[in-house]
Amino acid sequence: METNWSKVIEVFSSGIIGVFLVMVLLQILTQLSTRVIDLVESWGKDESSESEVKK
Amino acid sequence: MFDILKELIFSSGAVSLTGGNLVMWLVAFVLFYLAIKKQYEPLLLLPIAFGILVVNLPLTFLMEPEHGLIWFFYHYGIEFDIIPPLIFLGLGAMIDFGPLIANPKTLLLGAGAQAGLYVTFFAAILFGFDLQEAGSIAIIGGADGPTTIYLTSKLAPHLLGATAVSAYAYMALVPIIQPPMMKLLTTEHERKIVMTKLRPVSRLQKVCFPIVTAMTIMLVVPPAAPLISMLMLGNLFKESGVVERLTNASANELMNIVTIFLGLSIGATMTATTFLNPKVLFIFFLGLFAFVVSTGAGLLMAKLMNLFLKDKINPLIGAAGVSAVPMAARCVHKVGSEANRRNYLLMHAMGPNVAGVIGTVVAAAILLKNLG
Amino acid sequence: MPELVAPIAGNVWKILVSVGDKVELDDELVILEALKMETPIYCDDAGTVTEIKVKEGDAVNEDDVLIVID
Repeated sequence: METNWSKVIEVFSSGIIGVFLVMVLLQILTQLSTRVIDLVESWGKDESSESEVKK
Repeated sequence: MFDILKELIFSSGAVSLTGGNLVMWLVAFVLFYLAIKKQYEPLLLLPIAFGILVVNLPLTFLMEPEHGLIWFFYHYGIEFDIIPPLIFLGLGAMIDFGPLIANPKTLLLGAGAQAGLYVTFFAAILFGFDLQEAGSIAIIGGADGPTTIYLTSKLAPHLLGATAVSAYAYMALVPIIQPPMMKLLTTEHERKIVMTKLRPVSRLQKVCFPIVTAMTIMLVVPPAAPLISMLMLGNLFKESGVVERLTNASANELMNIVTIFLGLSIGATMTATTFLNPKVLFIFFLGLFAFVVSTGAGLLMAKLMNLFLKDKINPLIGAAGVSAVPMAARCVHKVGSEANRRNYLLMHAMGPNVAGVIGTVVAAAILLKNLG
Repeated sequence: MPELVAPIAGNVWKILVSVGDKVELDDELVILEALKMETPIYCDDAGTVTEIKVKEGDAVNEDDVLIVID
């Protein structure tokens, strides 16, 4: 069977780049949400003690 | 009287046995040995081995389409993509993403190890496999059983037995495969690096993580949906803390039940005609190659990150970027404590380890999108 | 008074010393079990064990005090 090399290269490069892009995106979102939650939780401490359930 | 006896003999399975069947019995017995005596992934290898044995007893028709008992398990469980996502539900209910949330940089290590998977894809093409087969073989390097089974059943179902068995077998062999690569690619000095303590993670963060991750991944790579949605649902069950019964059901009863059907059906795909094929040997070889290259890619990724980081990470934890939870993390911990006995890398390695699970699913989804 | 703290969360698998024992730097004092793996915890200072705060089978968190050494 003839190998379609351009397809191979496409799968190879789009795969590597794709995985990294998704994981970087996820990293940024995780850091962002962590920061937001930190803020929310420190506010909550000032106001009341039942901040845990609030989002 | 004599005629009845003669007919009984000729209608028995024994006369229809082929040499191939006998070889497969041998394969089954080797797996029995590995599972029972060596306890290599016995939960899976034992039902797989039994599946192999019974499907190679002629005239039982257990895998006969529309009639055979195990065929129904296989058809409705694996061909319909039900079992691998259910296993992921259970995994999600067991995994603690805490170390990952505490140190989100380790997500990159989970991505780094997947680079090895694409190198294997390239190698498999060179060995003469077609694109779909090469994708299924490459995913073995992700060291994640359910993902391997899921992708192979979509791309190259005829290779299912071989890719599944090599994924599970090599996962059990992680403590043997990984250390030489770790020592080759890191210096004694690097292995001694003690990492700063992980920051505490609040419950709210742990609850938000599966929701944010599920949304992100499904929006960007929709083909990942069946696996990632179940994984994150299981994790949400666990972290929410309000549905303990569902968490336990997913992680214990349901997981154990589907594991039986998974193992048995995978084993039953391995008939002499499909399995005794020179290609299978190449798959086992390429699977090992995939594990080694993914480990290397993870280590190199960690070293690359160290060039930019002020707080150096121990490059060993990059090797945990192949999923194999928690074998790879344990292995990192062991090698790290050999270099420095006060080095406790276990929790640091769990970060890239669970990131590897997410990374493998993403990689599989991208392969599926391009090749399916 | 130096304390031996748990470097990782886990269960106490074995306690290798008892109160009154003299210990040296780098002695193995406790073995923790985490993720089905035994992790020995080594002594950071020389001295005498004055108090053992955990017993075998206990679950401990990171930074919990295991043993007090004088």
